[in-house]
Amino acid sequence: MVDDELLGTHRQELRRGTVVLACLLALRAPEYGYALLKRLDAAGIPSDANTIYPLLRRLEERGLLASEWNTEDTRPRKFYRTSPAGDELAAQLMIAMTDLTASLHALNGGPER
Amino acid sequence: MTQLTERYLAAALRGIPESQRSDVEREFRSSIADALEDRVSAGEDRAMAEKAVLEGLGDPVRLAAGIIGRPLHLIGPDLFVEYRQLLFMLLSIIVPIAGVVSAAIALVGGDDYAGAVVAGIGGAWTVAVQIFFWVTVTFAFFERADAAREAREQITGATGRWTVDRLPALPAVRVSAGETVGEVLTNVLSIGGILLLSGAAWFTDASGDPIPLLNSAVWGYWSPVLIAVLVALAALQVVVFFAGRWTRPLAIGHAVLQLAFAVPFTALALTGSLINPAFADALGWPPLAHGNGPVMLAVAAGTVLVTAWEIFDRFRRARRAEATKAGVAGIGEPGQAAR
Repeated sequence: MVDDELLGTHRQELRRGTVVLACLLALRAPEYGYALLKRLDAAGIPSDANTIYPLLRRLEERGLLASEWNTEDTRPRKFYRTSPAGDELAAQLMIAMTDLTASLHALNGGPER
Repeated sequence: MTQLTERYLAAALRGIPESQRSDVEREFRSSIADALEDRVSAGEDRAMAEKAVLEGLGDPVRLAAGIIGRPLHLIGPDLFVEYRQLLFMLLSIIVPIAGVVSAAIALVGGDDYAGAVVAGIGGAWTVAVQIFFWVTVTFAFFERADAAREAREQITGATGRWTVDRLPALPAVRVSAGETVGEVLTNVLSIGGILLLSGAAWFTDASGDPIPLLNSAVWGYWSPVLIAVLVALAALQVVVFFAGRWTRPLAIGHAVLQLAFAVPFTALALTGSLINPAFADALGWPPLAHGNGPVMLAVAAGTVLVTAWEIFDRFRRARRAEATKAGVAGIGEPGQAAR
């Protein structure tokens, strides 16, 4: 029986490495921060608000996301969208992720289960 | 928006540069409102929901640091090894010097010995604190200043990639022949020194008889004892050479012999029985022979320090040798372990 706390820590480590990829993939359809959080949660990639908001700004700074204020809704919201550069990075990371998963399955002793 | 949210925003925005502040504020206001609305429409009490939303965002200072990419540590892993090395190097070199210099200045200024020791410790402590402070401040600056990013890269670049050439040498466990010869020679020279000083007499008294340097009444009895101890120490060194390494029993034997030398010698110095008072008078400086004079105090202190170090060093080497032996026996082939 694996210690719950240990499992939680390592799962979080695994997720931390994929959160950038998850954001870039999800934001190919424009979304504002809070909605993105809910979407990631629903997709089975729960993330903390205090991780996602700073991350969105860093990705925007590096030109991987573009942002736009939408003032037509009930309240003004900052929408983020994956830029072409971000799209390219996401594609490369997706390949790397798939390779990694395949490698882990191989190590685990067999084809995908 | 209640006061709780306003306070949260104020705390978070304080760390954000002016240019980004209004944008960040707008985004957080709407994000908090969205999250709050979600919870309230799910039937949660508004006040409780607001608390939960803000606590979900976490410490506002951390949030702000994340947004502007400021590190939450003083000195990060990139610089820590260099930081520690530089700190230890500066402390180990400069602090002892500062202590000695402070003590010397106090002595020259007319302090007594106790005052000089206090001044020395005070000087060493002040300099140690200063070094610690300035090195830490400098590295913390390199860690976070954007302008210092290049300097940071230069520091890590200058020290370069770690290679096996940088591995420290294994502690020399094996007692070498050269070391043995050196130790025996030291003992022989000490014996020679004792014999030489026993016969030394640079002045003559009124009747033309020599005034011996050493207090012959006391020294005549003790010098054979001290010489015997030195001979025993030299012999022990030879035994250690053939044993190949220091062991605990050998270190204990060494400690007993060291004490057999140091205790009487220090006692002679501190009781003023080492130097012939008539010699000191003839020299024109009576305090030379006094047990509480500067020379005898220095001799006593030096003897205690050297003896303590010698004893400690041999026990340390015995422990290392035993640890190495245990390691070899643990991982080697049975045949190798026996060798």
